[in-house]
Amino acid sequence: MAVKMDPIHQFELKPLVSFGHIGNQEIAFTQSALYMFAAVGIIALITVVATARRSVVPGRMQSMAELFYEFIGSTLRQSAGHGSERFMPLIFSLFMFVLVLNMLGMIPYAFAVTSHIIVTFALALLVIGTVIVYGFMAHGTKFLKVFVPSGVPGWLMPMIVAIEIVSFISRPISLAVRLFANVLAGHIALKIFAGFVPALLAAGAWGAISPLPLALSVAVTALEFLVAGLQAYVFATLASIYLSDALHPGH
Amino acid sequence: MRLSTEFIAGVLAGGILGWMFDRYLGTKPWGLIVLLMLGFATGVYNVMRVSGSLPKAPTKDRDR
Repeated sequence: MAVKMDPIHQFELKPLVSFGHIGNQEIAFTQSALYMFAAVGIIALITVVATARRSVVPGRMQSMAELFYEFIGSTLRQSAGHGSERFMPLIFSLFMFVLVLNMLGMIPYAFAVTSHIIVTFALALLVIGTVIVYGFMAHGTKFLKVFVPSGVPGWLMPMIVAIEIVSFISRPISLAVRLFANVLAGHIALKIFAGFVPALLAAGAWGAISPLPLALSVAVTALEFLVAGLQAYVFATLASIYLSDALHPGH
Repeated sequence: MRLSTEFIAGVLAGGILGWMFDRYLGTKPWGLIVLLMLGFATGVYNVMRVSGSLPKAPTKDRDR
């Protein structure tokens, strides 16, 4: 008996409610959208409900909310510096959204929203859009100094400016690709290692070594939890580093 | 993982830019050739910056 193994199947979008078509493209409320709504609900539960009582001695939920807030607050201050407090709502929302989506994706049979590059790219475009709009709003044309690093000899300048411009355009791509690739690769690896167990058990005497991939998939699960938290943190850190360019151009 | 995505993103950004240049300005194939090479340089530059092998600019110390 061949065990059916399809590691890509888990990333398929399933429309739940269809709103009709635009051209050939179906517009539907998919399970991906449902998970995003669930994530927003969970975040609201953690932050709004838990801090509703505002006790001086925080309860369990309130101290968790305060922990997240302090953590992101200090990360933002360290990487974006003076005047970065105004971006706290954006960075905190981004971090919590990515973290909760990653963690929801780790529940067996659940769907990992951040494994779709269009979702992570939309988040990255939000960050870069904020950098560009705020940079020009706050500094006008002085914001273009982002592309001119100081301390570069004059004859090298045209080359460096061209590289800096391409580097700026590569930022949303690297931000999106990093998160999406980590989540996608992790889930595929998990599925494949776990799939080895029934495949070996079905292969007669080979079943004797089936505990090996089982142990490995337990280890990979632990690793994926680490990656899920770490990538949310990296996303928030990089977003605040890019925002620091908008706050202090001309580095 | 961090370093490799920085590099890939640089090359990708150069490639996409060059492809769009060619498409809208009709400069096939020079835009893609030049910008892909520039993207490669950007990838190396990104990796150097992230790994900290570039010298820090003297005015990097900001008011914290």
